[in-house]
Amino acid sequence: MPNKRAQWKSCVAVAALLAATPAGARAADAGDWPMYGHGYDNTRFSPLTEITAGNVGKLKLAFAFSLGSLRSNESTPIVIGDTLYVSSSWGPKFVYALDARTGAMKWKYEPDIPDDVLQYACCDVDNRGVTYADGKIFVGRLDGHLVALDAKTGKELWDTKVVDYTQGSVITSPPLVVKNLVITGFGGGEYGVRGSLQAYDINTGKQVWKTWTVPGPGEPGNDTWKGDSWQHGGAAPWLVGSYDPKTNTVFWGTSNPGPWNAAVRSTGTSDYGKLTNLYSASTLALDADTGRIKWYVQDTPEDAWDFDGVNELVLADLKIDGQTVPVYMKADRNGFFYVVNRDTGKLISAEKYVPANWATSVDLTTTRPVEVSSKRPTADHPAKDVCPNLIGGKNWQPMSYNPDTGLVYIPSNNVCMDWKVSSVKYRRGVFYLGGEFPPVPGPGGYLGELIAWDPVAHKQVWGIKEDLPFNGGTLSTAGGVTFYGDLHGIFKALDAKTGKELWSMNVGSGVGAGPISYSVDGKQYVAVVAGRTVSLAAFVGGIGEKMLAATPEGGTLFVFSE
Amino acid sequence: MRPLTQGLRAHGRRLRGKAGLSLLLLTSFLALHPARAASGSEAVRPLRLCADPTDLPFSSSQPGTPGLYIELGRALARSLGRPAETVWQLTYFGPRSVRTTLLAGLCDAMIGLPDDPDFMGPKLIFSAPLMRIGYVLATPRSHPATTLEALKGRRIAVQYSTTPHSVVGARDDMTAVTVLEPDQAMQALAQGKVDAAFVWGPVAGYMNRTLFHDAFALTPVSGPGMTWPVSVGFSRRDAALRDQVNAAIPQLRPVIAALLAKYGFPVDASAASASAAPAASPVHLAAASGAAPAQSDAAPSPAAAAAPAVGGAAVGEGHDLFNGTCAHCHGVDAVTTERRINLRLLQHRYQARMDEVFFYTVTHGRPSKGMPNWSGVFSQADFTKILAYLHTIQASE
Repeated sequence: MPNKRAQWKSCVAVAALLAATPAGARAADAGDWPMYGHGYDNTRFSPLTEITAGNVGKLKLAFAFSLGSLRSNESTPIVIGDTLYVSSSWGPKFVYALDARTGAMKWKYEPDIPDDVLQYACCDVDNRGVTYADGKIFVGRLDGHLVALDAKTGKELWDTKVVDYTQGSVITSPPLVVKNLVITGFGGGEYGVRGSLQAYDINTGKQVWKTWTVPGPGEPGNDTWKGDSWQHGGAAPWLVGSYDPKTNTVFWGTSNPGPWNAAVRSTGTSDYGKLTNLYSASTLALDADTGRIKWYVQDTPEDAWDFDGVNELVLADLKIDGQTVPVYMKADRNGFFYVVNRDTGKLISAEKYVPANWATSVDLTTTRPVEVSSKRPTADHPAKDVCPNLIGGKNWQPMSYNPDTGLVYIPSNNVCMDWKVSSVKYRRGVFYLGGEFPPVPGPGGYLGELIAWDPVAHKQVWGIKEDLPFNGGTLSTAGGVTFYGDLHGIFKALDAKTGKELWSMNVGSGVGAGPISYSVDGKQYVAVVAGRTVSLAAFVGGIGEKMLAATPEGGTLFVFSE
Repeated sequence: MRPLTQGLRAHGRRLRGKAGLSLLLLTSFLALHPARAASGSEAVRPLRLCADPTDLPFSSSQPGTPGLYIELGRALARSLGRPAETVWQLTYFGPRSVRTTLLAGLCDAMIGLPDDPDFMGPKLIFSAPLMRIGYVLATPRSHPATTLEALKGRRIAVQYSTTPHSVVGARDDMTAVTVLEPDQAMQALAQGKVDAAFVWGPVAGYMNRTLFHDAFALTPVSGPGMTWPVSVGFSRRDAALRDQVNAAIPQLRPVIAALLAKYGFPVDASAASASAAPAASPVHLAAASGAAPAQSDAAPSPAAAAAPAVGGAAVGEGHDLFNGTCAHCHGVDAVTTERRINLRLLQHRYQARMDEVFFYTVTHGRPSKGMPNWSGVFSQADFTKILAYLHTIQASE
């Protein structure tokens, strides 16, 4: 039963969406889950209140839908009106439009993904979902293409090549649509690409702007790279963007720089001076219309740990020292939780949210981490027991923000690593020495934790420890419930205030994707895609074997209701 | 029943000339173990080789230019009495392509893997090394440079994320021109955009021969991360096949030498005894990966005085050879936390037999423990230099 407050909040949500939706788009309904992070703010907060902490125990399966594709299903479904759109892994192999009440299939899109694409996807054949706008569905594909589909029929309207996937660049995340532009990045930071964000016309698929995330000669920031290293500097924005219509600003995180040997692109030491390798491992604030970079915050200068800075930016207005401050929040892979004034780029706080020992703190004035130099691996010095490890304090799995509790729910990892330079790498007939990163379990005897984090007081309020890392993203609802799935395939509902488990269901395969909630005909549903990762395990040795042993591969959408 | 018959035929062929009793015993054994009999049919099944269709000079699905590994694979199959069959697989991400093909049972062998237990762990086993390949300095014959120091102030093309990239990119007295593929480095050299290319020898050699009429001088470079022994990789389930291949390798040495010459692979004369390529003076980069010597926690032992009568230069060369190859398992400068492979304890462990054990081990290997047989890869002189180096670092405990 929706209460008055929730109705009011829904109205606000609708108004915000109306203000920012593309011309000609239908107004989003309060029951929709209109985009990857629910809104442009990526809060993953559903205003729906039918399902509450008091009644979530009655949740039952409404329907299940096989995605027809196994392994690494990381998709967040979206719901527009009575239609649910969901993508599978492998390309995607399929995008489906379903009746959001019954799961009855309306259409299916099966693109011709080249057979060899797996060769070039560094971190598995995942796809994190699609984007809706203006009667169209937008799909970024592993083969580097961005396509527009007719949302009613699934028919392809246009198809644009964004990047050459045979250089190790793939698209795995849904694009961000702002007004008449479809904005996307791509992955491949380790394989010698130079990252960029690109905007395409919503109707024609023609490129409108392209902004390199590594500045070229003559551009500010180019002198943060040694020699010609900027040409292959990485900084690939491979996850999702956020948008603030008030300032017309797009926010996007960028990946680590390449190559792994920092001495090639900087000094190779903690004393990197100006050689910070911009804009890698950073948050970029860009003008939505032109792609111009307004400002940036670099979280990990001269990264040497594979601390991508891609994690999603969650936009909220926080009460800090009596003032309401427009911020973005980011749980960086590097183990620090960043709160930044999103209008000015001023760093408000950066505190450790997981065990992290590579830096003691972050200087709020310079934004530079205060490094522990013994934890910086170089070609000469392997670093031991560095926390977090390369999968990060948090990886791509989305966090959520509940404005009622004021808490952020972070699916975190507690894994450290040794970093040695010794192993023989082999690529297409060439051998070379690469880094090897044996994982070390983090302190405390657990490998993952769902953390309820207070971003103002910067402290953990409660946590649920997990015996495996890389658990699923979270959903927060106005009903006071937090949902997430773990790598054992247990999908859970928690009391958002206390973390008490209220309900759980075994969905048969590990969960990485973030759940959603939507409402059709006045009935609230909760949906999640199950289907555990495959490739990631290769990065974490013996821990990876446990991750794979926990459940079989899978690929199913589960939808629950009362 | 078909597999059983095939198996019998196969075994019968191998057993020709043996006493009838053996065959009789074998027949009854096979009747009781049909599965074993089926595996016996491998002797006539094609030898399935996984290879990249787009990786010249190593392998190619173009019939006219099969590549060195394909030709070598065919010769290998012939010597095993089996037809060769190629399973094509891109190797952009090397280990993954090995996992999804060779280790998934799609093929029997993969030529061209780095013989290193760290490469993919114990799932993968290797033949004895077929050859050593590594990086070279390619320079115009008109302006040859046989040392990196001679290239100070110059532009040097290197492949992204390779050891030469780490070496040149980290230096301030020369300019790295970074490319993604080694052939781009050779093209840049041919176009005069760079003064030298510091790239993968086989690619440089092949292009030099087929495209550039040997216009460039190629100087092999040794040092850590610069050269590797190349082997045939197998799933650890296929140790029997590995043994057959190892038995066939000695007779394949002339074929390997001819193929190295045909494809223009630069060969470090000091490294490959089977080399038919012209000798080149190797560049030694003592700290090629930028790796400073690891901190030694063991003081030099008095045994150093008892080192064989070779000069200090030999110790230095032995040190380079050691760090270039042996260090992959035994640690840079033989510093390792694993006692069982700690070569600083050779003297302590074997006393007067140290030299004897060393020579026996490097020329026979300890296959069950992952130590390859290095004969045919290193010369006797190399072994002596490595031993000379090891004598300088023996610890008491």
